[in-house]
Amino acid sequence: MTTTLPPPFDPELGAALAALADLIPPSLDGDLLTAMRSGSALALPTEEELRRGGSFQIEERTVPGLGDAPDITLLICTPTAPTGTLGCIYHTHGGGMVLGDRRLGVVEMLDWAEQFNLVVVSVEYRLAPETPHPGPIDDCYAGLLWTAEHADELGFDRSRMIVAGGSAGGGLAAALALRARDQNGPDLLGQMLIYPMLDDRNDTPSAHQMAGLGIWDRNANEFGWSALLGDSRGGPDVSPYAAPARATDLADLPPAFIDVGSAETFRDEDVAYASRIWQAGGRAELHVWPGGFHGFDGLAPTAQLSHDAREARVRWLNRLFNG
Amino acid sequence: MRLAALDADAGAALRVIAYFDGLAENKAGLQAIVRGAAVLAGCPARLDDRSRRVHVRVDPAGRAAPDPSAADESWMHTPVVPDASATLWLERVGEPGPVEAMILERAAGAARAVLDRTRGRAPSEDPALVELIVDASASPEVRRQAATSMRLSETDRFRAAALPSGPQVFPAEAKPAMAGRTGIDLTAAPLDRPVSAAKPRVGIGPAVEPLDLPAPYAKARVGIGPAVAPLDLPASYASARIALRFAADGTAEDPGPMVVRHEDLGGLALLADLPESADVPDLRALEHATAAGPWVLSTLHAFAEATSLRAAATALRLHHSSFQDRITQAEHLLGWPIRDPHGRLRLQLALALRRLRRHPPA
Repeated sequence: MTTTLPPPFDPELGAALAALADLIPPSLDGDLLTAMRSGSALALPTEEELRRGGSFQIEERTVPGLGDAPDITLLICTPTAPTGTLGCIYHTHGGGMVLGDRRLGVVEMLDWAEQFNLVVVSVEYRLAPETPHPGPIDDCYAGLLWTAEHADELGFDRSRMIVAGGSAGGGLAAALALRARDQNGPDLLGQMLIYPMLDDRNDTPSAHQMAGLGIWDRNANEFGWSALLGDSRGGPDVSPYAAPARATDLADLPPAFIDVGSAETFRDEDVAYASRIWQAGGRAELHVWPGGFHGFDGLAPTAQLSHDAREARVRWLNRLFNG
Repeated sequence: MRLAALDADAGAALRVIAYFDGLAENKAGLQAIVRGAAVLAGCPARLDDRSRRVHVRVDPAGRAAPDPSAADESWMHTPVVPDASATLWLERVGEPGPVEAMILERAAGAARAVLDRTRGRAPSEDPALVELIVDASASPEVRRQAATSMRLSETDRFRAAALPSGPQVFPAEAKPAMAGRTGIDLTAAPLDRPVSAAKPRVGIGPAVEPLDLPAPYAKARVGIGPAVAPLDLPASYASARIALRFAADGTAEDPGPMVVRHEDLGGLALLADLPESADVPDLRALEHATAAGPWVLSTLHAFAEATSLRAAATALRLHHSSFQDRITQAEHLLGWPIRDPHGRLRLQLALALRRLRRHPPA
């Protein structure tokens, strides 16, 4: 395929990338993975930071995995002084399926939790390559089932539960929505998919455009998907619960929020997913941020585009929970 | 990996450089540049440009936070342009540390590129500066400053223009082609071919290429002064104001060119010196004749401006003979013969005086 130049980065975001160029490898391989897992490259919040001076009660619960799978840990953050009926965000963290833990990405969830009276439950799922598919999604689903069953104990209204995640976590959240639909799982009010990782085929124009550029380029993406799927990556037998883009039926799903940057690997697969939801008659909101690279709002939170992206998410949540 | 979390070491200074270089390369605007300074320094940052009346202030979270109160002189700051008419501030007291100094230097550099770029786009559009530079009562030093602010080079030539709304300044070699002008061009058509769509005309003299004017002025009356050096713009403007009086509304009641160049007026310009109260018998006769009906003015005007009767007739969409009849009647109302050169000159002068009376000095 002839590749054209990618869309330019937003001026502020491009400048941020330039300033932090040496800290961010666009690609990932085995050696780099080891280094990244042991270092503090990912900004993980402390318990103190999660507690927010008493606004949240922080708890960890160990709950059974699916079938013979080992127990999993859930991080549970409960507002201590809610101003209304509590709902729940069931959060699946990002990290390309190979990195991260249950605390990654929770800080933004807590902002929403304060605004919309939500319990945040973030699941620790086993990572690839040590645990290939279906291990990670099974862990996430087990946690979801447990959370829904224990809604009363956790104090939230089970009709106000959403799944949410960014990057690989967004892919996992989309897979949870599919699986809950297919396997009589809990009813979900919505699915928040933040620049989600949906397609193991890794062959879209945007994937090719961004090779070697920005954050999480095509090579890193191949590494992550191969870690999860091994040799079946890109082949005929990939389950939609591993790669939601593979789902043939996108009807009857909870309302989706999808956002993505115009200058990242996942642009085309995320746009396609939203389009297919509409074609199936479903509800979805799509934002493609001009000049945004993957994870831009986390890396450069004060840029104008990052403000706008966060605001758009909040507006959707407002319509969902307060509409 | 937050951009704001830079350690205070040599690496941080390099990152600051890379960040503002990135902003400049990407042609980021002032808001983004000031935001970068505020976020990287961890305190509010502001840019004040007195001459362009620009005020940008951002808090360390990146939110716009304008503040009308003056900057505190003890805050860290740096000039953005050499004449110090624009300043970048970090709202923090004390001597800047190495990272802060780098932020000030690099952010100011990026901001200067923006100001130069946007100033260059429309140098003559700041109304205050334009009024200053055409003001004969302003000292040459003040007008030289204004010329510098407007980026008017001493070696280039400019024209002042007078509009009902005030002065404008244009480069002397402005391109031809105006849009949306009314007025009849009676000079260009050969005898045996009809005049096509009405074309705009400039000046009372020979048809010249009209000047390019910015959109808001395209439908206004304009007088244009001669091409001069920036410091002579007051004289150009004085001429432009005279020329403006000769510019018509371009309506049936006041037909004629809407754009007039003073240098095209020739001796006609002297008519503007005539006192308003002066009694001119030919002008009285003209007003008397035009009272008989709208056709009188259009006939006389077409005749006065025509190079050929046939062309004039066609422009008025009249048969040649009908036009001849009208001229005869109008001539009768007027009280002097107009078909000979002398009579025609009297008519042209009367029409010019009529227009001047309709547009008294401001």
